[in-house]
Amino acid sequence: MAKKRTRRAGEPERILSGGRKRVLVVLFVPSVERDGKTPIDQACWVDLSLEMFGRVFGGATAYPKAKGIWRDDERGGALVKDEPVVVHCYTTPADIEAEHNLAELGTFCRKMGREARQGEVGLVVGDEYFAIRDFGE
Amino acid sequence: MKTQLDMNKIAKGLRAHRRGKATASGGYFGAMQLLADVEARFRVPPRGGRATDPSWTERRLVPLAPRTLKRLEEITAKVRERGSSNLEPMQLAALILEKTTERISESEAQELIRPTRGASQ
Repeated sequence: MAKKRTRRAGEPERILSGGRKRVLVVLFVPSVERDGKTPIDQACWVDLSLEMFGRVFGGATAYPKAKGIWRDDERGGALVKDEPVVVHCYTTPADIEAEHNLAELGTFCRKMGREARQGEVGLVVGDEYFAIRDFGE
Repeated sequence: MKTQLDMNKIAKGLRAHRRGKATASGGYFGAMQLLADVEARFRVPPRGGRATDPSWTERRLVPLAPRTLKRLEEITAKVRERGSSNLEPMQLAALILEKTTERISESEAQELIRPTRGASQ
């Protein structure tokens, strides 16, 4: 049986029932390597990302391919065109701030960045964009 | 909408760099997500009729300003033009209402009642 939450003195009475999943995490799964030409196994990375989001945060949705572009400043500003798949995952503030969840999400992003030879893996959490560029294990 | 997350903690946990504010719920992504939601969730009822979300079991009369209804009608007309779905204006309203209420945090709900409490004292 679920333990009843007790209210501390001075704490306002809760208005909303339950913890709703209100933090959106967006992951961009690329279609090509950093060179902008070599295709990657995008379908496999989409499946792996869905499995990771499902396991860690309880679910996610992958949308149809979009069109994207990224400026690679470390290669003289070369423009990398690709067709990313955008994966959306709704979670709670507590779940996204949990260290073990962040570690698993970060590990997945670094693995994808490393094995799919990316310059950057992009992630939006809430209203902020995070860039992962160091893909070391 | 505020999310009040500890972004530095998230960046550290991800071993990522904060690159600034983004919006993932509006613009193109918001519209794409709305259409994808309609296509994924709407089903034709077993006894026929207009496609709808089977989980929408409650019905209420919602008062609207004429301009709001006009805007809903314009948006759904655009959706229908693209042949993506036979979305009705009030179905779009229900989707928007559902998404917005899902994203309201406890602190934002507290903000809503604060002026009323102040006025009664």
